[in-house]
Amino acid sequence: MSFRSQQPETKQVDHISFVKPQIFDITQDVKLLWMQEVPNETVRLDLFFDAGITRGGKSIPAIVHSLLLSGTNELSSVEIHEKIDSLGGFLDTDISFETAVVSIYCLREHIRPISNIVANAIQELSFRDNEVEDVLRSMKQQYAVNQQKVKYVAQQQFRKQLFASNTDYSTISEESDYDDISLFSFKKFWKEHYLNGLTRMTLVGNLELDDVDALIDLFGKWAVDSKVNYANGFEFQAQRLDFPKDGAVQCALRMGRFLFHKSSPDYIDFQVLNTILGDYFGSRLMSNIREDKGYTYGIGTGVMDMNETGYFVIVTEVGKEVLDKTLHEIKFELERLQTELVPEDELNLVKNYMLGQLLKSADGPYAMLDMYNSVDMYNLDLSFYDDAIQKVKNITAVRIQELAKQYLNFEDFLIITAG
Amino acid sequence: MIDFNRFKLENGLTVLHHFDPTTPMAVINTLYDVGARDESEDKTGFAHLFEHLMFGGSVNIPDFDAPLQNAGGESNAFTSNDITNYYNVLPVQNIETALWLESDRMLSLGFTPKSLEVQRNVVIEEFKQRYLNQPYGDVWLELRPLAYHKHPYKWATIGKNIQHIEEATMDDVKAFFKAHYHPANAILCIAGNISLEETKRLVEKWYGDIPASLKPERILPKEPVQTEFRELTIERKVPNDAFYYAFKMPERRSFEYYVTDIISDALGREKSSRLYFKLKKELKLVTSINAYITGSLDEGLLIIDGKLSDGASFEDLDAALWSLLEELKTELMPETEASKLLIKIRTVKEFQEQGLLNRAMNLCNYELLGDANGVNEENALYQSITPQQIKAVANQLFKKENTSVLRVKSIKE
Repeated sequence: MSFRSQQPETKQVDHISFVKPQIFDITQDVKLLWMQEVPNETVRLDLFFDAGITRGGKSIPAIVHSLLLSGTNELSSVEIHEKIDSLGGFLDTDISFETAVVSIYCLREHIRPISNIVANAIQELSFRDNEVEDVLRSMKQQYAVNQQKVKYVAQQQFRKQLFASNTDYSTISEESDYDDISLFSFKKFWKEHYLNGLTRMTLVGNLELDDVDALIDLFGKWAVDSKVNYANGFEFQAQRLDFPKDGAVQCALRMGRFLFHKSSPDYIDFQVLNTILGDYFGSRLMSNIREDKGYTYGIGTGVMDMNETGYFVIVTEVGKEVLDKTLHEIKFELERLQTELVPEDELNLVKNYMLGQLLKSADGPYAMLDMYNSVDMYNLDLSFYDDAIQKVKNITAVRIQELAKQYLNFEDFLIITAG
Repeated sequence: MIDFNRFKLENGLTVLHHFDPTTPMAVINTLYDVGARDESEDKTGFAHLFEHLMFGGSVNIPDFDAPLQNAGGESNAFTSNDITNYYNVLPVQNIETALWLESDRMLSLGFTPKSLEVQRNVVIEEFKQRYLNQPYGDVWLELRPLAYHKHPYKWATIGKNIQHIEEATMDDVKAFFKAHYHPANAILCIAGNISLEETKRLVEKWYGDIPASLKPERILPKEPVQTEFRELTIERKVPNDAFYYAFKMPERRSFEYYVTDIISDALGREKSSRLYFKLKKELKLVTSINAYITGSLDEGLLIIDGKLSDGASFEDLDAALWSLLEELKTELMPETEASKLLIKIRTVKEFQEQGLLNRAMNLCNYELLGDANGVNEENALYQSITPQQIKAVANQLFKKENTSVLRVKSIKE
């Protein structure tokens, strides 16, 4: 046998150094996390706001989010961007269910001046008519484009159905949202959710303590003044709903169900099950539906974390003619996990893979801060990861089967198709 | 500054080594000097099909992914019209597994009929997902043959026609592999907390016995100088009218390439750019507009694309756009604007060098251009660009006869 037939010896990851950021209290509930040890000139500052899409009716949160740098009485949006661009700064904004984030990327020599521009732009936001019209015009067009994407339609309808029991969480955008220029509600939302909505700041960069103090002084005045509450106790109906689209050659599929909060004792064990089923390239769904049948370019699963709960989702786009066959194979794979023990080889592979990925997610100050943040946000700490290493190493096939029986019954899923 | 070492094996494999003691991970990046431009016109989409087949098992190893995942790693790849790039990221203590896998697939593929059959289907689904089942998804399939008449850039990486993939035979596939996937046609970069000596030992061990082949001679049809304005209007069931202006631009190795890059930034990279300000904010002709370059090795394209506002006409847009391009041809760019563009380039570069994988890919890319150290000289090149050079290059680019325009007219369902 050629030496090439034998895999070289490998060693399982057994230790990961987790580094904690420095933590500054802005108020009792709002803090800044700072990772200082960065070996180059780069800085990233993230501002988290209690301004997610579930925080206001219609599309108001998304519209206000898009308007954040649209101008003050003194400066137009182009002038604001001109100033930031002249300092080499990049802005990135993101809005999700429960949070909106504004991020600044730049060289460390520029973080203070850029932060001043951003702070002033948000604080003095003037909702100029022409800028509001421009943003709404663009958003309306983007909405029309999105409506033609089966993936987007499936995602929106999935959200609407899964969160059906809570209007704040289940309302999805409509075209008319962008015709209704409701300056009063925009301003109200901005005051309540941005000027009094900062929930957290994170910072990566080799800065001086003075810089950090200055950033806290600058943005800290927006800290929320009471504890933020998030929804819980959602109820949904397990059912299948199809949204046909003429001319589509592929069908988008989303199926899911509620799970548990990140602090649940089942959380990490379930992540192992999730990985086996659909969260890596060699997963069962990928092996079966892409690599064996060629029905799709990709299929994946994920555990989505929310502030008070969490849900599980399977996502794919498949040839329209093989949609039912795909659902049949998904059902087959869920049942196989419930009836057969995962073979030892496969389980070991997934354990090794997950530990390798964990090591990678702790690589470098940027990754480490994100890692810390993604537990701290849910009131957990770094022991979560030490615990994760132990749990991944020790999980058994029997335990995985138990979880599959509990959480992966095909009949318990909400199934949405579009296409 | 990215430090590196370079050595070459007897079979022609170029190896770059980048030492980084601060990370527990390692990167193995392999750039093959083959892209869609190396396909014959009646068999397009092969380089990309290969990207898929390369994960279908090699001569001694039936499965590529499982052993790598078992070693805590993951891998992926991408194909362009110029290159194919494969990468693995894994804990450094298991680096040998990645070398074992990558070297075996350079030695030879498994070539099973099943793998060909399945990947053919997967690529067809990819074609549907990305090009057919998206609003505006097919514009590059229309724009490339409009802008290029002779050069193989006239077809997209996915292929000119999906039938080429449907009809690919095992013999075609084997011949394409033999011609392009061998040591002399590859650049390998090993990055992480691993010494040069150890790198040399491992590379020799795993790649040393792969037989040498001659680097294929590349004789591509040269695109004749464009002498006429080209335009094409297509009708699609999309929400809004869209436009794509393509201007031929200098090839990757020229200084003018960098100047053109700056010009595209000035026109439409950010929300303070010229096109954004004038066409979107002031004249309200468009709801979105961008300018960028294709970045290709041979003569590429500077693209200006966007979507019209409701009620705006292609004619209005055309007039306003050309008047802005005229300004770049007749007036020197103000110092403040030039420095704004240059500081952004510096910032981007600093962020890019943050990641180990990016560093490895960049080294390979520059080695392909002639010298990996180019990655360290790139910023100085940009910073040396003068307003006079910008004006001169703008005059070469923005001529009517150097332009191809694709319009997508929206028809209601």
